Amino acid sequence: MKKSIRETIKDFLMKAMEKGVFDAVLIPMKVPAGDSYVYVLIKDKALVKDADPLPPVMSVQGGKAVSSVTRLGKGNLKIAAVMRPCEVRATNELEKNEQVNPENITLISIDCPGVLPLHDFTSNPEEGLAVFEQAEKKHDDTKMRPVCQICDNSSLIAGDLHIGTLGAAKDSVFLIAHSHKGQEVLQTLQLSSKGSLASWKKQVQEKVENKKKQRSMTHKQLKKQIGGLENLIDTFSRCLNCHNCMRACPVCFCRLCYFDSEKVKNVREDYMQQAQEKGTLRFPPDTTLFHIGRMTHMSVSCVSCGACEDACPVSLPVAQVFSMIADETQGLFEYLAGRNREEPLPMKTFKEDELHEMEDAHD
Amino acid sequence: MTKALVRKTSTEQGLLTFLQDLLKNKVVSGVFSLKVINKDGDIAYALITNPDDLKDARPFYPLMPENAGLHLSRFTLKGTAKQPVLAVVKPCELRGFVELIKREQGNLDKLITISATCGGVFPIKMAVSKDHEKHLSKYWESVKKGEIHPEIRSVCKACENFEPYTADITVDLLGNSKSDAQLCMYFNTNKGKELATALKTTLVEKDSDKKTLDAIRKKRTAEKQRLFADIQKQLNGIDGLVNIFGRCIGCHGCSKVCPICYCRLCEFESPEAEYNPAHFESEFKKKGAMKVPPGTLYYQLGRLSHIGISCVACGQCEDVCPVDIPVAMIFKYVGESIQTMFEYVPGKNRDEKIPLITFNKEEFAEIEE
Amino acid sequence: MTKKEEFTPRILAFLCNWCSYAGADLAGTSRLKYPTSILPIRVMCSSRVDPLFLIRGYLEGADGVLVAGCHPGDCHYQEGNYYARRRFAMLKNIFESLGLEKERLRLSWVSASEGQKYAKVTTDFTNVIKDIGENPAKSKIFL
Repeated sequence: MKKSIRETIKDFLMKAMEKGVFDAVLIPMKVPAGDSYVYVLIKDKALVKDADPLPPVMSVQGGKAVSSVTRLGKGNLKIAAVMRPCEVRATNELEKNEQVNPENITLISIDCPGVLPLHDFTSNPEEGLAVFEQAEKKHDDTKMRPVCQICDNSSLIAGDLHIGTLGAAKDSVFLIAHSHKGQEVLQTLQLSSKGSLASWKKQVQEKVENKKKQRSMTHKQLKKQIGGLENLIDTFSRCLNCHNCMRACPVCFCRLCYFDSEKVKNVREDYMQQAQEKGTLRFPPDTTLFHIGRMTHMSVSCVSCGACEDACPVSLPVAQVFSMIADETQGLFEYLAGRNREEPLPMKTFKEDELHEMEDAHD
Repeated sequence: MTKALVRKTSTEQGLLTFLQDLLKNKVVSGVFSLKVINKDGDIAYALITNPDDLKDARPFYPLMPENAGLHLSRFTLKGTAKQPVLAVVKPCELRGFVELIKREQGNLDKLITISATCGGVFPIKMAVSKDHEKHLSKYWESVKKGEIHPEIRSVCKACENFEPYTADITVDLLGNSKSDAQLCMYFNTNKGKELATALKTTLVEKDSDKKTLDAIRKKRTAEKQRLFADIQKQLNGIDGLVNIFGRCIGCHGCSKVCPICYCRLCEFESPEAEYNPAHFESEFKKKGAMKVPPGTLYYQLGRLSHIGISCVACGQCEDVCPVDIPVAMIFKYVGESIQTMFEYVPGKNRDEKIPLITFNKEEFAEIEE
Repeated sequence: MTKKEEFTPRILAFLCNWCSYAGADLAGTSRLKYPTSILPIRVMCSSRVDPLFLIRGYLEGADGVLVAGCHPGDCHYQEGNYYARRRFAMLKNIFESLGLEKERLRLSWVSASEGQKYAKVTTDFTNVIKDIGENPAKSKIFL
């Protein structure tokens, strides 16, 4: 995306603030030291100039940022949250879990080119920025997060407004309203999608089809690599049980995670008994339990953002594995996490007549 | 004079034999140590009960996947000690465990500790692609000479507490030029000596070489002062802090791997640390924008004020940080400053109370105004 | 940059119920003059003050934070102020090590009968804060 498209987006936001459509904007900004980007809630519209709607990294997942602002209520400020599609989806999932109050929030998404792995940027910000700019120019995502590289939802519209950049004319963007709130914003600003969205839709469709193929191939390979108990244990053998992945995850919102609680801490005699039965008991025990357990708890809400993998100190392919499993579990319920706000969470609803293939299964 | 066990065998082999004898003869029921855990050669902590599995033990391998003090706390906190266990840990892990015991998060019932004079560990990230393996032989050379290997954790380079203070048994490793051909273990306590007695092992009178250890300490102190000067330059007020911690993502990994941070529900994850809408709106009276989620510096400074007094400078925090913030060096720098104020070395003396839960009636008159 | 004379500092004052809060009351009823910059917060004992209160106050822009309690030996709960003194000493040391202005933190012993002392301490402290200027944290976005 050329610099001027970022300016176009910022101009739009500033104008909206001027007209009182928004009182504040939640958008990434470069930190003073220049080595990362963080979400900033901006009330003074002049500061929007210094923001960056699509920075090279996602240090904190947007869903988490929105939740930290609205979990305790809607407040008086009308806030525009400018994020990527996966962050909007995470926000929707969090809303379903009562961690986000959506009333005064307008969710604005942008066509996402992906992000660099956080460490790749922070370890050398200058180089990171150059790599990202090249990648944007050439539509080359081979340096992005592994899960970004196979993302087929990078233009998914799940919020109130979407800014389409693919297939747009030079320096211009498509403004696509997806909800009543979004339509009102455009009307108040006397904006409309001039012309048809055909070129955007075409480019998006091409990208999606491409990515779906890549995704399917990658997942097939990954399944072979990690499938089976032995391979699974090996995949996570370096895990330090630091639980960074869980805390970086936008949809892991539990204040006290089950896997940090007393439930998983045993009495000394239990540890001794396990050690005696196996001859050796790794400490801390239950690494695989943590990962499979976390999968069980959150995979139907996983938005495949990759925040977990960025946070892992030993570079485990957490996001790649979890994202693959999420495709399967969500597929089972024909659910896509966060694609809209109305669809109930699969685990909080049921049909009386379903999933009979699971009953007395003989496979 | 201390009692010591001296054997004409490599330290590594001699130690493994000692551990195997203890398990085989049921003197202890378990040995807690670093161990090779798979065919790829990954190293992790393990509680070993089968003496045959000890062949894969790597007692003082220069890696610290977690601070073992956390493991010992988890192992001993709940339940009763029915069977004796020997734990092989590094000095800072032992100090961390002692600080946890002072906070009622563990105990030494039927737990015998063995440690060694420590040459430091490699950062965990090096172990990810086994980068550390190419440095291993040079590492052991520098341990024998008492020199600082350039690739170890920064806080290890600056560590003056490389002698284990409360260990029941201490293995002579650092600065021991004979360690390839001779095992020398000091039995510091009765608990340790009982193990030797049970194995019918003769101990000799031998003291550790204070001169060598002092010389090593001097080198570490010099390195510490150099590293402290570096970090001090960055700690120049609020702007300095904003620069250093700007890329913090609030994952709280540093807190989770810290042996001293034991709170089940951390203050900074509790409702106390959350901002309600009114709070945000009042912040906007002072400034035009606010980073969210809020409270990065509040968390870092707050954690410093809560655990800095007991920080053993193991370096786990820095290793686990996804964005390489030099947390360990900062906590060591500030931690040592406040510890010195109270003449306190965390984990050195089991009977010494944590300075913040005790007082003298007359002290610090200079800070009252 | 605000000229030093023009700004009215905002100083949080954690006052223990039995001694310093009463002392502050006495200053008031005795019609002693002391600055309007003080924002008193009553706590039952100076040992209730967690270093976090001072840190949070500082980061949210308080120009100064005062902790006042009973004189050592006179604590209503016997020992509270001894612990408070240690915690305060530690926090001051932390501020110094981090290059933060430790002068923005003050500890004082003010008994219930020391209305004069309260007025003096708060006036002194306000002047010190006016000298060192507004807390830069007030305007920082990236805290």
